[in-house]
Amino acid sequence: MGTIVTLIINGLAQGALVFLMASGLSIILGMMGVINFAHGTLFLWGGYSYVWSYYGLRGWVITQTFPEAVPMTSFGAILKIQAVQLPEGAALSFGQELGIFLAALVFAVGVVFLLGFVFERLFIHRVYGNAPAQILITLGVQVVFTDLVRVIWGPNPFPIDRPPFLAGVTALGDARIVHYNVFLIIVGASVALGIHRLLTRSKIGMIIRAGLQSPEHVQAIGIDIKKYFTLVFAAGSALAGLGGALYMPLVGNVVSTAGINNQILAFIVVVIGGLGSFMGSFYGSVFLGLMGVGVALLFPSLSVVANVLIMALVLVFRPDGLFGLAVSKK
Amino acid sequence: MNLINLYAKTQNRWFRLSALLSLLLVFLVLPHFQTNSQLIMMSRIFILAVYGMSYDILRGYTGFINLGQAIFFGSGVYMGVIFLNVQNNLWFFLLAAVVIIFYSLVFGWVMSKIVLRTGGVVAGAMITLALGEIVRNIAERWRDVTGGQDGLPLRFSRVALDPLFTDRVGGYYFALAFLVIMTFILRKFIHSPTGRVMMAIRDNDQRARFLGFKTDRYKTIAIIVSAIAAGLSGVVFAVIVRFANTDYLGIGYTLNALLITLVGGTGTLYGAIIGSAFVTWIQSFLLDLGKMYEGFTLLRFPMLFIGSVYILLVIFMPAGIMGGIYHLRDRLNNRLQELRERAETGGVDKASHRTANLPKE
Repeated sequence: MGTIVTLIINGLAQGALVFLMASGLSIILGMMGVINFAHGTLFLWGGYSYVWSYYGLRGWVITQTFPEAVPMTSFGAILKIQAVQLPEGAALSFGQELGIFLAALVFAVGVVFLLGFVFERLFIHRVYGNAPAQILITLGVQVVFTDLVRVIWGPNPFPIDRPPFLAGVTALGDARIVHYNVFLIIVGASVALGIHRLLTRSKIGMIIRAGLQSPEHVQAIGIDIKKYFTLVFAAGSALAGLGGALYMPLVGNVVSTAGINNQILAFIVVVIGGLGSFMGSFYGSVFLGLMGVGVALLFPSLSVVANVLIMALVLVFRPDGLFGLAVSKK
Repeated sequence: MNLINLYAKTQNRWFRLSALLSLLLVFLVLPHFQTNSQLIMMSRIFILAVYGMSYDILRGYTGFINLGQAIFFGSGVYMGVIFLNVQNNLWFFLLAAVVIIFYSLVFGWVMSKIVLRTGGVVAGAMITLALGEIVRNIAERWRDVTGGQDGLPLRFSRVALDPLFTDRVGGYYFALAFLVIMTFILRKFIHSPTGRVMMAIRDNDQRARFLGFKTDRYKTIAIIVSAIAAGLSGVVFAVIVRFANTDYLGIGYTLNALLITLVGGTGTLYGAIIGSAFVTWIQSFLLDLGKMYEGFTLLRFPMLFIGSVYILLVIFMPAGIMGGIYHLRDRLNNRLQELRERAETGGVDKASHRTANLPKE
């Protein structure tokens, strides 16, 4: 029983992370008809900027409070990532730790938001309505910006820690509940709820929903839909950035291939949930997360191929997605 | 006026044939004046040209973007190394070729079954990307066969020494022969009735369907043919590089194929040869540069430059080099036609005035 609870929480946390990526991808695809193969790069940029700013800020705060603190070995290339060792027995207050964590998250999301904005203005807006060109151009952006990460922060993987106040594990009966996983689920659920409310209740959401159905009509009413396209693209990117920032402490290991791997997971979710549907990407993420741990428990040898196998089966039997939610758009 | 006369001459079939033959002759003599590394580069160019053509059949002639093309190429490389490690002679090479043909046939068919369900280019690209990365993942974990991340070298210990597989010049001729034969076959395929239908699908899927063609069936044929061509080029590539690793299965090598067809021009088949020469040359150039200037970290990331070139190509030159040449040829042909018509109707003055403004290329 305990194992099952642990696994469900792990699976939901995994799903929450994938959801952060897949939802942005799905809204962009549904509304703008743009498929972004550079989404994994945005994820990666979010992760690296989080790690860099988190350790930079934390190091600065520690040396301010405890001048005798010693810096540890640094990683990175042009920009260094360097942790500072707290003196024996000393600790930062909860408020300080929380502030550092949130500031790093905001920084990472901001960087990726800007990056998404630049991508849209520089590349994407040239290829609206031309799917093959979108695929080719964003694929190129993916390669170039992933290598740029390797140039800036170095190509080698390195270990990182979770923020101390999220690092713990609670034993509940024989279930081991990892705090960070619970935190991920809460973030994922609130983001899902937030976007849902934004889409259904606000003026912006109304325009976006109208844009999902028919951008031409929205334009005809006199709303500058192009401006909303840029905004949606940047916001979707920012979600990927948030996903990346939260992903790095989860795995505790910063690798530059994480971008493409998570992008593929997000693609699978988008296909399972139905292309271009926000709710579809929500259900799809939960499904994928839970299925992942289930397969790992029951058929460990299948865990690599399970995702793709499910995707293939869904496509063969239900081309509109498992829940039939695909937004039809050519 | 000279230019047009010369061009009109090239229309002559015999002239073209002899030009082609003399070009072939140059390539036949060339290896005896080259260093080993140049030989390897030329051989790579020939084989990657076939790989590029295999991609062009799919993307250029049906409009379908397969981001898992490297599955077939990489599998071919592995198959080649594995079979030649058993017995290093022509028979085992041919055996590898037969196996890869069968493998590509089956896997290509399965892939088309999955991909063509949703129909769209976007979904197809997403799914093939996922398939490709999963195959690479499996190969990385299946250490007994693939050697994992360390890769699988071609050993020469168990050799029935065949000059084809040990001598660089032999390898060069081998690659050249492969290119010539595959170009001939793929050209025949493109100009066959099936190829014509594929082009009709590329230009307008719906129209082809209304004309009564089962478009999915033709797309399946295209996927399978391109898979087989890619797999075969992988097997020959194994002879040249003598090493297989999971990079050959990954998105990087699919991107290579995309780049080759983009540089050369999509839907031109021969463009892949130009594209392959350009891409392979620039890659080895960057590699040499990186060795010369150890200090520059930027040079250790060749994909940074290649990717940038690629983005610029997509934005500014979507038809590629060969596409540009074809475009120019069409314009010249139109001009020529116009000139003839004007000459017939007596408007000679106007016509000669017009030729003065022709682009000097």
